[in-house]
Amino acid sequence: MVIVGVDTGGTFTDFIYLKDGKWQVLKILSTPHNPAEAVLKGLSEIGGDERRITHGTTVATNAVLERKGAKTAFITNRGFEDLLEIGRQNREELYSFRVKKVKHLVPEELTFGLSCRLNSEGKHVETLKEEEVEELVEKLKSLGVESVAVSFLFSFLDPEDEIKVKEALEKEGFPVSISSEIVPEFREFERASTTVVNAYVMPKMKGYIEYLVKNLQSGDTLRVMQSNGGVISPETAAKEPVRTVLSGPAGGVVGAWKLGKLSGFEKLITFDMGGTSTDVSLIDGRPKLSVESKIADLPIKVPVIEIHTVGAGGGSVAWIDRGGALQVGPESAGADPGPICYGKGERITVTDANLFLGRLDPEHFLGGKMKLYPERLRPYFEEMAKRLGITPIELAEGILEVANAKMAKALRVISVERGYDPEEFTLFSFGGAGGMHAAYLAKELSIPRVFIPKNPGILSALGMVLSDVVKDYSRTVMLKEEEATAETLEEHFRELEERAKREMEREGFEGELLLERHLDLRYRGQSFEITVPYSKEFREVFEKAHEKLYGYRHSRDVEVVNVRLRAVGITEKPSFEPLKECGEGFPEGALLKCKKVFFEGEWVETPVLDREKLLLGHRFSGPAVVVEYSSTTVVPPFAKVRVDSFGNLLLEVENG
Amino acid sequence: MVNPIKLEVIKNALISVAEEMGAVLQRTAFSPNIKERRDFSCAIFDRHGRMVAQAAHIPVHLGSMPMSVRSIVESLELKEGDMAVINDPFKGGTHLPDVTVVAPVYYGGELLFYVANRAHHADVGGITPGSMPLSTSIFQEGLVIPPVKCVENGEVLKDFLNLLKANTRTSEEREGDFKAQVMANRVGIKRLREFLEKYGSEFLEAYSEALLDYSERMMRSVISEIPDGVYTFGDFLDDDGAGRRNVRIRVVLTVKGDEATVDFSPSDPQVRGCLNAVRSIVVSSTLYVFRCLAGEEIPTNEGILRPIKVITKPGTVVDAEFPAAVSGGNVETSQRITDVLLGALSKALPERIPAASQGTMNNLTFGNEKFTYYETIGGGAGAGNGFDGARAVHTHMTNTLNTPVEALEFQFPVMVTRYGVRRGSGGDGKWRGGDGIVRELLFLEEVDVTVVSERRVHSPYGLNGGKPGKRGKNVLVKPEGEEVELPAKFTRRFHPGEKLRIETPGGGGWGRKVSF
Repeated sequence: MVIVGVDTGGTFTDFIYLKDGKWQVLKILSTPHNPAEAVLKGLSEIGGDERRITHGTTVATNAVLERKGAKTAFITNRGFEDLLEIGRQNREELYSFRVKKVKHLVPEELTFGLSCRLNSEGKHVETLKEEEVEELVEKLKSLGVESVAVSFLFSFLDPEDEIKVKEALEKEGFPVSISSEIVPEFREFERASTTVVNAYVMPKMKGYIEYLVKNLQSGDTLRVMQSNGGVISPETAAKEPVRTVLSGPAGGVVGAWKLGKLSGFEKLITFDMGGTSTDVSLIDGRPKLSVESKIADLPIKVPVIEIHTVGAGGGSVAWIDRGGALQVGPESAGADPGPICYGKGERITVTDANLFLGRLDPEHFLGGKMKLYPERLRPYFEEMAKRLGITPIELAEGILEVANAKMAKALRVISVERGYDPEEFTLFSFGGAGGMHAAYLAKELSIPRVFIPKNPGILSALGMVLSDVVKDYSRTVMLKEEEATAETLEEHFRELEERAKREMEREGFEGELLLERHLDLRYRGQSFEITVPYSKEFREVFEKAHEKLYGYRHSRDVEVVNVRLRAVGITEKPSFEPLKECGEGFPEGALLKCKKVFFEGEWVETPVLDREKLLLGHRFSGPAVVVEYSSTTVVPPFAKVRVDSFGNLLLEVENG
Repeated sequence: MVNPIKLEVIKNALISVAEEMGAVLQRTAFSPNIKERRDFSCAIFDRHGRMVAQAAHIPVHLGSMPMSVRSIVESLELKEGDMAVINDPFKGGTHLPDVTVVAPVYYGGELLFYVANRAHHADVGGITPGSMPLSTSIFQEGLVIPPVKCVENGEVLKDFLNLLKANTRTSEEREGDFKAQVMANRVGIKRLREFLEKYGSEFLEAYSEALLDYSERMMRSVISEIPDGVYTFGDFLDDDGAGRRNVRIRVVLTVKGDEATVDFSPSDPQVRGCLNAVRSIVVSSTLYVFRCLAGEEIPTNEGILRPIKVITKPGTVVDAEFPAAVSGGNVETSQRITDVLLGALSKALPERIPAASQGTMNNLTFGNEKFTYYETIGGGAGAGNGFDGARAVHTHMTNTLNTPVEALEFQFPVMVTRYGVRRGSGGDGKWRGGDGIVRELLFLEEVDVTVVSERRVHSPYGLNGGKPGKRGKNVLVKPEGEEVELPAKFTRRFHPGEKLRIETPGGGGWGRKVSF
């Protein structure tokens, strides 16, 4: 048997696989016109049989981002056809003469209203008329519609109308997504938006998955990564692709979670700094989920690993605003022209500032395969520094300080502002540029430790291999505290559990399921819910959570808004062998050279170390620079490093 | 000397404090206005009561928060652990539902900063549910709170809370909102103290001062791009809600170098009805307009106002004096003040200024002795040079979210029967104005409904040959289908089975439409 994780990225499709008892890594150039080609090419290189493949795909994601999904129609109640356009009635930017609103995925002429309506008790005020449905089916046929989304008001209380429309349309061969199946929760705009995103990407995803499955070997099994950090069968992914649209960053978080756990760290703040932006998330025993996510500014209400993104990365451009302050980002130099040191760029980036201070080593950038031009930097730094009235070195340090301040703000949002004390966490850094900033951010936030995994470049693919099958179910019940008796709740949970068991059976799990019950609660009258594990004492658990998040409790009644069920099928996991080869003290064998690096106001002679040669037990203190193929780790003078038994780097950061 | 890097770092730090306060307030409040519609603002002030940082919330609060804080600073001595509250429009408030809670931030025994937040409460008493009545005196609008202490030694003062609760239709909800406001300030104090600890008080104070200079510099650079000159513009409010029609608002804008004077004194005298604005609203509108003009991020603080002189004449509709009725000034007159100032600027910068947006917030309040509900409805945005106006959206002085239909119907005896784009309502032109909204509600119980709306008589103007946007319309639909047009402002008892349909104005068009 071979275990394979495949992660499709913009440039490379990453593979990590366990074959003949050995973990190996493979990178294949991505094939954006048909991402399956790169996947299949890699799989054929890996060979073997009875392969268990876990795949993270961006097919659905890109269809939304590039607006290249299906010609989709949206069906709702008559009188509410403009639901998607109106959205929440607000504008994106407060201070702009040009008022902008997000355009949804369905054009006006493909939106249709049917005369049917449920009230807030789930009773019909107006019933669906069959002849209207028939008329609609004919109309959609004549318009060449490729996919249909249906979302009626209060359909989560009684899905009958949506089901009727779905059946009528499916008979004619239309792929149909209905809101009562995708996300049976209240708040019509967000629910409709989620359903529309699903319909919009469904045909593409279905085609992709079918092509892939057809070209696998018999005996292979495939699972697809979701945005909630779990995997699902290809059949489910083809039907509910909206669950995969934010799966890209989810793989990395799951990878961090599992690797952290293996090394004994259960509380992590993940920090993924890329070229244009930085993703951060918090893991307190497990990744946190959110149901308020967006893709391309379109709300999607399915559970997604909560990731906070900030527009600062290695390629972020430095500039001076009209008030004379130094700004970094959100504009990025991208890959073309890229930073000044790549040879073409004309504007200073964060990467340039790192190189200017000696923290990047030109000889070892991408294993020395990519040439850098450090000599291009000076005139640009001198010119900008002069305008600011500071020295070029101060400018370089300033750029890093401003970029760090932005990223620190993002880290604060997910930790301090949610009632978590960073001192109890470990900063898990991956992504190309993260290692140069992680120690500084840890110090800024009083995080005692930085964790830099082995092979940070393929963490996402690794996360996929280590994921369980997870399906999330929910339903709005809107119960007052006195109505929320154990029996009533039990009934609601049972209903979800029955569906979960049925569907998990199709995923290949019978019996051995983990079923987790949660409630979304709020004080009656509030409009944001807190999700807590279900127990008889749910009120107390909720109040504690409210207090942790917001600092106080009320004497008011509590309201049960949604019931949630998470079904987990534990997959068989490969194991990791600890390193056998040991080292001790300073890793002389890994020393590539010494060079001057600028730290805290002076140039310091600093060893440059080869990550590949670091072994379990090696220890050293900053300053140091550790280089590897896809990233660089800067160890400032205030940090101490040890290598753990799985080859991870642990930077202990002195605080205060 | 001010370091340009530290300046950026401190700016981020202070804004993040205000933003976090906002997040706490929104998530724990009970009034739909606060929790769903985000009708609130949070800000940080220096020891002199000058606003140094504000989170981007509601523009209409921009100018008036500082006046509320100053009013409190001048009249009360706040010790560590104390907080004060105010809503009096004549002492720095805007209208009575906007309640501001202010807390001093002590560090090392010394008062260094203040944090404050303002939130729109669903009801503070007065003659109609929701406290947005068609009044003729402030005393009909609800409970007036002068600067008073509401928290002492960290404890909410029971006496104050009881007084507040006794004067509102929804006392439990008031307590919840008020506590959320107090909590938001506590979080603000805590976070600000952490930054004081980290950077030192002298440093933080020096850089908050530098932030004011910084915003001033940016604003001067914006103004210097406007051609020098004197520009005038005038427009009308439909009526004051008490019988007075065509209330005129006029501005004389003088630009010279990097300074501007905005003089609203040629506006009509204050009116008997509720459309009077207090001076701070003019300040807010002015700030908003110039902030839009900048086109890039300028940290919102009082430095922005230094190069701009705002002149109003006490006793006019834009600088009303006690005991004028003001409930609609904040929401409606503020929009017209903005239209008028933009109109004047369009003469200086004809290529840059868009046509008028819907120019109203379409305030709808309904309730009975058991509940109150308030919402505002979006409309069309004005077109500009190179773009059509957006449809069905909130413009200028507000940016609140709608209440989801399902949330509304779960909570209140009402059904939404239509909510859509009002097609064809945007003004024609080379670039079309955005369309307004049609919203229709069916009442299931007897309720008192109050509507305060504008642009039912005077249309949103077009520019450079563009046509005006369509006027709005308020319609009663009787159970048997008969339709009766209602005025721009009314209070009326609706019976079960009756519907109210509100059609909001479209935005003005921009540029002459050339047809071949």
